[in-house]
Amino acid sequence: MADRENGAGSPEEQVRALFEEAESSAAKAFEQLVSKPSFGRLLAMSAENVAAVTRISFDAVDLLWRNLRLAGRADIVRLSRQLHRTEDKLERVLQEVEILRDEMARERDEEKARS
Amino acid sequence: MSVLERALRFPSNALEYTNILLTTNDAVIGASPREVVWTHRETTLYRYRSSNRRYAVPVLLVFALINRPEIFDLRPGSSFVEFLLGEGFDVFLVDWGYPDEEDADMGLDDFVCDELEWAVRETLRASGQDELTLTGWCIGATLCAMYCGLDRGPGRRAPVKNLVELTMPIDGRASDYAKWVGDDDFDVDEVAEQWGSVPGGAIDFANKMLKPVTNFWTTYRRLWDGVQEGTARPEAYQTMAKWVADNPPFPGRAWAQWIRLMYRDASLLRGRVRLRGRLVDLSRIDMSVLVITAGADHIAPRPGTMPFFDLISSRDVEHLARPGGHIGLVAGSAARKELWPSIAEWLAERSDG
Repeated sequence: MADRENGAGSPEEQVRALFEEAESSAAKAFEQLVSKPSFGRLLAMSAENVAAVTRISFDAVDLLWRNLRLAGRADIVRLSRQLHRTEDKLERVLQEVEILRDEMARERDEEKARS
Repeated sequence: MSVLERALRFPSNALEYTNILLTTNDAVIGASPREVVWTHRETTLYRYRSSNRRYAVPVLLVFALINRPEIFDLRPGSSFVEFLLGEGFDVFLVDWGYPDEEDADMGLDDFVCDELEWAVRETLRASGQDELTLTGWCIGATLCAMYCGLDRGPGRRAPVKNLVELTMPIDGRASDYAKWVGDDDFDVDEVAEQWGSVPGGAIDFANKMLKPVTNFWTTYRRLWDGVQEGTARPEAYQTMAKWVADNPPFPGRAWAQWIRLMYRDASLLRGRVRLRGRLVDLSRIDMSVLVITAGADHIAPRPGTMPFFDLISSRDVEHLARPGGHIGLVAGSAARKELWPSIAEWLAERSDG
């Protein structure tokens, strides 16, 4: 009771306060750690390595797959890119058609207004 | 609550806690009714219709290339889209979709000169207006600034009446990201080429590593405390957790360009960015501008946004400097009462009501 009046709180509250303080200190320490250039280099190298290993693994599986005369990821990507190119062209044609349609509608309105 | 009480309640609390974590994916986000206006490649333009539309100028929302735009419409009662509709705005949203390996060749030029340009065009066509309000968030805000600053030939400007920029990075050289990827030793082109599109999980991991203890530990500890004390809001936790975990890949070419532009050269500041040969000059931004920055933003720190004000030529500029984090500022529980009304008020005066 005396402790509580002094602001120290119950043992449970003290443990909790201690835990939160430790958590806050750990958070600050880790934030300092990740802001170091050396950590940045480590992360960058790890990213490069993971990317390379991923690519090698995919290529190996893809090679095996294609030798079985089955469409691999690379084939699907190539096909998707062709579809994208077609869609790009279609979009531009559609926009031209819409512009022409708007122009024609405007001209028609102007003719109506004149007559 | 005594220790004994806690011990007795532990099994049911543990059950509730695991239930919240395990059913996170069942949470419904982006539930407001919407219709598809236009699609191209992975991009989709949606329209949310307001039943009490009061303002003519439509609002086009543009989110970052990482994470999903559903953050604008997180859940009923906590949705910026729903709020804008209630205020009487005609709301459109650009969704960049889930770019995959076949989209690896998409660069920032494709997003600004094609996808965003065309989304603006379709928004204007659908709404029957000549100008709109462009609202960008995070990378989306930078893309919007680039779109408005793009060279369109003599006497031609972007059809944007108002530009609203939420937590926008313009110069990232002072951020922790720059310490990780700003060095030339890190070969961004090589990584982009190897990966094609950079996996969303990798970008999410990097984002979380900025505050590792908070993201990997404190979030879950707080949820546990909430469950123990009976104050946990499962819906709020689950919708945000589901959104955070939904990470589309970042097209490799755009990612490499972004790293160079933001964390190495700060070329936007120097007016050296060219997209398909067209110069991006931020001094072309002459429309009404509202910039919102967050005091505790570790992803786009406020000092990295401030140079924007010296670059633009707008006369009607307002800066709302608020406390809060990169996402919490606009999507947090306090935003509905504090930030959103300020944005709506600013827009209302400039949207031909």
